[in-house]
Amino acid sequence: MAETKEEPRIGVFICHCGTNIAGSLSIEEVKEYAESLDGVVVADEYQYMCSTPGQSKIIDAIAEHNLNGVVVAACSPRLHEPTFRTATEEGGLNKFRFEMANIRDQNSWVHMHDWKGATDKAKDQVLIAVAKARMLEDLQPKSVPVEHSALVLGGGVGGMQAALDLASAGIKTYLVEKAPTVGGRMSQLDKTFPTLDCSQCILTPKMVDVGRHPNIELRTYTEVENVEGYIGNFTITLRKKARGVLDPTEAEARGIVGGGCNGCGDCAEVCPVIKPNPFEFGMAPRKAIYIYHPQVMPLQYTIDFDSCVKCGLCVDACGPEKRAIDLESVDTFEQIKVGTCIIAIGYDYIPIEEKREWGYKQYDNVITGLEFERLICASGPTGGHLIRPSDGQTPMKVGFVLCAGSRDNTGGVNKPYCSRFCCMYSLKHAHQIMEKIPGAVPYIFYMDIRSFGKMYEEFYYRIQNEGAKFIRGRVANILEDPITKNLIVNTEDTLLGRPVSMEMDMVVLAAAIQPKPEAEKIRQMFGVSKSQDGWLLEAHPKLNPCGTTTAGIYLAGVCQAPKDIPDTVAQAEGAASAASIPIHTGEVQLEPYFAQCVDDLCAGCGMCLNQCPYGALDLVEKNGRTVMEVTEAKCKGCGTCGGFCPGGAIRMQHFTSPQICAQIDAFLLEGGEQ
Amino acid sequence: MSGNMRQYAFFLGCIAPNRYPGCEAAAIKTSAKVGIELLPLNGAGCCPAPGAFGAIDLKVWYALAARNIVLAEQMNMDITLICNGCYKSIWEVNHILKHDDELRDGVNEVLAEADMEFKGSIDVWHLAELYYDDKICGVDKLASTVTRPLTGTKIAVHYGCHLMKPQKERHFGDTENPMWIDELVEALGAEAVQYRNKMQCCGAGGGVRGYDLTHSLDITNEKLINLQEVGADALTEVCPFCQLQYDRGQVEIQEKFGQTYDLPVLHFNELLGLAQGMTPQELALDLHAIDCKPFLEKIL
Repeated sequence: MAETKEEPRIGVFICHCGTNIAGSLSIEEVKEYAESLDGVVVADEYQYMCSTPGQSKIIDAIAEHNLNGVVVAACSPRLHEPTFRTATEEGGLNKFRFEMANIRDQNSWVHMHDWKGATDKAKDQVLIAVAKARMLEDLQPKSVPVEHSALVLGGGVGGMQAALDLASAGIKTYLVEKAPTVGGRMSQLDKTFPTLDCSQCILTPKMVDVGRHPNIELRTYTEVENVEGYIGNFTITLRKKARGVLDPTEAEARGIVGGGCNGCGDCAEVCPVIKPNPFEFGMAPRKAIYIYHPQVMPLQYTIDFDSCVKCGLCVDACGPEKRAIDLESVDTFEQIKVGTCIIAIGYDYIPIEEKREWGYKQYDNVITGLEFERLICASGPTGGHLIRPSDGQTPMKVGFVLCAGSRDNTGGVNKPYCSRFCCMYSLKHAHQIMEKIPGAVPYIFYMDIRSFGKMYEEFYYRIQNEGAKFIRGRVANILEDPITKNLIVNTEDTLLGRPVSMEMDMVVLAAAIQPKPEAEKIRQMFGVSKSQDGWLLEAHPKLNPCGTTTAGIYLAGVCQAPKDIPDTVAQAEGAASAASIPIHTGEVQLEPYFAQCVDDLCAGCGMCLNQCPYGALDLVEKNGRTVMEVTEAKCKGCGTCGGFCPGGAIRMQHFTSPQICAQIDAFLLEGGEQ
Repeated sequence: MSGNMRQYAFFLGCIAPNRYPGCEAAAIKTSAKVGIELLPLNGAGCCPAPGAFGAIDLKVWYALAARNIVLAEQMNMDITLICNGCYKSIWEVNHILKHDDELRDGVNEVLAEADMEFKGSIDVWHLAELYYDDKICGVDKLASTVTRPLTGTKIAVHYGCHLMKPQKERHFGDTENPMWIDELVEALGAEAVQYRNKMQCCGAGGGVRGYDLTHSLDITNEKLINLQEVGADALTEVCPFCQLQYDRGQVEIQEKFGQTYDLPVLHFNELLGLAQGMTPQELALDLHAIDCKPFLEKIL
């Protein structure tokens, strides 16, 4: 293609990386070898090439030696390719005239004790890099405009925080929540550790804020149906589920001025259908027309059409002024355009009843931590009085089983990871029963106490001092005394080195958490990878913890990995910041690695279409022929289509066949002599 | 009638015929009523006892158990048995040898000296398992054979370790909280009563009874306390060794600890025999150490 042959003039720069590289191979030998290579006009080395003086060496050499290619042999392109590209550009070259040889991660670190072998391999790596550098071309990054709006999926504390941040930064933000109210898991909690402030008290202001913010378009009882497009230009189809109740705006649109639901609750009062309330884990009833709890946002009733018998009593109760109830309501669809998306869909609990040996759902008095939250919460089904489900008595000895499924490799429902907030909430529960029930003793069965956060360890000491008992050992099984319904917890006290069997009035399981079942569908729609455990995968665990490998899609909260509230909120703010950058920039630059179709060679067979994982390819008519066309913004440059094309018509920019062949030839024909 | 009968090779074991002949008699007569015919497994040896042999030499355990299985293979019949210890040995060895080629070859080398070969062509069943299996009998069919329902009695079930464990090699589903024998008991019209530490060992198995009688009885004693607490009229099990421990163990507990329970202990087949109208004499209940009369008075 680029036949404007210019004489290659390449500079090679070798980094010591302190002793990371220089401690395992001979920099001097590699430098001498580099100088001997075709097209290399200068070779240099420096202790830290990424430092300012190191970069100056590149910038100066470009001018001094009139270079048209730069090779740095150093760590990894993932870490410093952008650094050296910037230096190349500052020296006056196109930044794609740069090539990196990874002689640290792929060489000195692996061959730490083989000086000669590592040195020889480094020479080969430099040889190959120079071979490519001889053929590098100028490439121009493309830029695409970005919609000035964002989507936040999930209305828990993470999603609300992200939406508030984006909205406050002046971005129109769609906050989509599948439940009838925002609030998420946090609204089910009684108090929060280690400060013991009331969860709902600190959450409600945020719920109100997202409902009020002029830049937030709140979409509750709504799910994402389809995602199309790419960073800057996503088209999202939303399914607004049939709610059966109109809000004032919807009512007005139907000509019912001053109507719509005002949350008075007259409808629920007359509703004859009683169902268990899932928000209270079935421990309290609700009607077929319901709100979860008094603080819901928006304060608007919802009809559970699976239970509704359409008797019409609620319609009458609502009255002719409001006319808020529409028993014939159906799902509606809406398309929105957004520049970036944040996924904050949260988590689920493992089906802990499948661990039969702990007796959940077999024995009345074995409950989960989240059920405990409802039973101790003043707005919960018992008005905050902790009672045994079997007989309504006040429990005096309560066992807390930590790592119930977490940190467990034995298969089944067990999870190898730490669920990260169970230690702390169990300590909090221990405190709550000692505070509310004089003389009650919590027994905490634990493997480790992981109180790693700010003021967390101090909280642990506090609970110890208050009188909680700690027994270190994984609980083997829990048995029930059929008469008293008391529970016998069998475990090993690994500090005393002997088996113990203790009788409890009640046992609370700190069940492990896992990704939501719908996470799989959502991640596929948004093109996000997952980790081994099914959590959504960040782009880099340390350096890009909010981003994903799909540009424009960010993560916040527990859908990415177990987190407590402070960590969730912090990550949400990070995700909001990351998601606002392309929007405020107004355009995104795309790496020019996208595939190109050489129309003359393309037979229009379309075989590449099925190979592309990003849906970036289409067949189009051009000059009377059918040829492939790349949507550059969607193309990730993965090369799958290029490798597959039977006619060799697809050219991968920056990884062209001649470039790759030159590297292979260099290694097989010139190098390797031992 | 015998044309519709399913035939099984009946592995007797040692404790049933020697200590509780009623178990043996009951098994043969009760099973016939649901269409199961038990034929003697001629030449059968010791199962061999899982704790005693298994603890000393596994190879001997595999070979002796395999020999019993081969006898049934020669009859071209599945084995059925009425003892958890026998189940542990014969069911488990059959299962292991079917899945471990190397071990099977080793066992067959030994069996070859007696002109025998383990082929893996049959299955092993506990008789209680056959009663529960819908394809063979099932709870409803069993209930239909009851002529003298045990109405008004509270019966506690002991499953026994060797029947249920190791969990990974069993096929009963939930081994932590099994209810299927409870269902069988309820099919006889009795109330299957739940009690504390139901799944705990009877105290006899694994050689504990032979090694340290006091410790073994201590475990049994705790179970008896729990059974007394729920007011059980009788305890039923599906293992003569558990039966021995609970029944004669009560006499030993009386001697050693001075505690008296007088809790009748009946093998499930004995219980079934009573429900099907057999007399206490037919079931040799007078050979039990603990008098069954208080229980019998409730139903006769």
